[in-house]
Amino acid sequence: MNSNWLPEIVKRSESGPFMKEADFDMAIAKRVPELIQEFGLTYDPNVLVPSDDDLANRVFQAGLELFLEMGAYNMSTQRRALFTRDEVEEAVALAPKDFTLGEGKDAVLMRHRGVESNIPCVIHSGPTGTPCSEQFHPFILESCAQEPLVDCLGGGSISTYMGEKIIPGTPLEILGVQRDAAVAREATRKAGRPGMHINDVASPLTCAGKISTINPEWGLRPTDGLLVSQMVELKTDYDQLSRAARMKTVGMHIVDLMTPLVGGLGGGPQGTAIVTIACHLLGVMCYSASYHIYGHMHLLESTDTDRMGLWIYSVGGQALAMNTPIQMINAIYTQAGLGTEEVLWEIAAASVASTVCGIHQGGVGATGGSKEDHTSGLENRFNAQVSHSSLGMSRDEANGFVMEFLSHYEESHKNPPPGKSFSKIYKLDPLEPTEEWQDIYNKVSEAIVATGLDIRNKWKKAQR
Amino acid sequence: MTDQYVNLGEAIKKGDVETGVSESLLLVERGVKPIEIFSECIEPTLAVIGDQFSRLEIFLPEMINSAEVVKAIQNEFKPLMEADQETISKGKIVIATVSGDLHDIGKNIVKAMLEVNGFEVNDLGVDVETKTILKSARDADADIIALSALMIPSLPFVKDVIDFIEANEEARSRFKVMVGGGPVNREWADEAGADGYGDDAIEAVDVAYRLIDAPA
Repeated sequence: MNSNWLPEIVKRSESGPFMKEADFDMAIAKRVPELIQEFGLTYDPNVLVPSDDDLANRVFQAGLELFLEMGAYNMSTQRRALFTRDEVEEAVALAPKDFTLGEGKDAVLMRHRGVESNIPCVIHSGPTGTPCSEQFHPFILESCAQEPLVDCLGGGSISTYMGEKIIPGTPLEILGVQRDAAVAREATRKAGRPGMHINDVASPLTCAGKISTINPEWGLRPTDGLLVSQMVELKTDYDQLSRAARMKTVGMHIVDLMTPLVGGLGGGPQGTAIVTIACHLLGVMCYSASYHIYGHMHLLESTDTDRMGLWIYSVGGQALAMNTPIQMINAIYTQAGLGTEEVLWEIAAASVASTVCGIHQGGVGATGGSKEDHTSGLENRFNAQVSHSSLGMSRDEANGFVMEFLSHYEESHKNPPPGKSFSKIYKLDPLEPTEEWQDIYNKVSEAIVATGLDIRNKWKKAQR
Repeated sequence: MTDQYVNLGEAIKKGDVETGVSESLLLVERGVKPIEIFSECIEPTLAVIGDQFSRLEIFLPEMINSAEVVKAIQNEFKPLMEADQETISKGKIVIATVSGDLHDIGKNIVKAMLEVNGFEVNDLGVDVETKTILKSARDADADIIALSALMIPSLPFVKDVIDFIEANEEARSRFKVMVGGGPVNREWADEAGADGYGDDAIEAVDVAYRLIDAPA
């Protein structure tokens, strides 16, 4: 969106209908089931990539209705900023369809992808929602940036500065996040890709912390991005909006982060898909986002690779891809730990489902992002290969692959293999996977080729 | 559960406050004591609901709605039970997401699970300062302070509450502290000096029961 809505957002945040937060939550919880009924939204756990345009369109309309009725809840004022249908439709029409991420030879064009599109996904990487240790953070980022199929890097988060716990709002936060930004930039430089887009530095909790990462000399540039978050569900506040204000002025890419919870206020898969659509519209109206992190998550297991999570990727992705020019990236949260066969099967399922349904690739958070240093470059290479090999695939064919891949890990969700952290599965000099991790990657890759998806070769045909 | 409780059990499962209250009062009129209604119907029904939620066979809104029915029944029964010097409250808990952290969903799940298990829960919301948590716990005469954090940088604020209580004899003698949330684990909770840690909402209920029974 080219227009600057922030003054109007503030005005409406100060004058919109007052509502206690708990009442707002319950209003969503009450309205969503009604919308599921009104729009006749059904979920079939045996068809995780439906080939049903009408279903996708109805999910979009239900999400639009929810956003129009609920608006954006500003936690700072306990008021709702409401928008008319015309305002939302106009803003969506103005949302950026194509744009460049990064600069120079390392720049990539992020294009709107339709359903069953041949346009390759932009491949984001980095410690997606996964905390890193101060010791291994630089190596983890470099392991991602050096992967040839990776296009963009996330800066990750570290909880210490020179061994001291970072307390938000203190100088340690500013020092820590500036270090993290510099480490991310250095990782791209060491990989010979200094212009690579960095999509976020995740450590800061405050607006001051976030914007202190911006420094073209050693940190983030206008061609990079930072996340602006929504709180669950459909909530923002002045701290987040202020980040958007600064980034808009700098000319950076605003990245809209949402985390609709499957089993939460939206209820099951249909309701969470509705909430996800509404969240994207909030990101358009309030943040003027360049792109959106399609980041739903299972309420209890912190994953999106279960049946419900995959269905939400498929149906919500189709809904947005068919009805808007909005650009979105996934965030694959697996149950399994890093360095396991299961983690790769989980990635494969989510990668196919989202690629075929219009979503770009946003990186992997093994163990649901709960275990320190469970992140490396190799799984991002794998994700890219699966995604690029799925281009132009029909939804029906994708459904077959997703169901097949699911059968290789679904049982393990009850008791996921813990895996190993980065230092156990990567050598530091030279920086490459250990033989054990490489063998697991080879084994699963071969198994996927045997299912009929030639991820060893087909990715080479992607028109990158 | 006997036949007389079928309608009440269904009302709780459906989150139907009106029917739940009217069925409860009808049972009282028929001579069933409130405490019997709780032990013979409400608690077993809530155990089923909690179990279904733990497998995500039902979702958060359904559980919150069931908790609302039980809260409404508790309010209706309160004067009756006070007259009989009986209580259905398992204990009083103040719950909050600590300073700097705006995430409330985990806290809300724990709150709902505690409520459906008979605890009186005072929810202070998100981004709550230490002094506010302590004041509210005193005002509510709480037994337990439950703290939630989703962000790693929020952990020092959890520790801050624990340290404040440790340093204050009166607070230490009154309140038990239980902690949970994404970045919190058992080791961290032990190191920080928390009295209890719940890995999820189900464990949080077990921890609350244990802390209520534990000596001050």
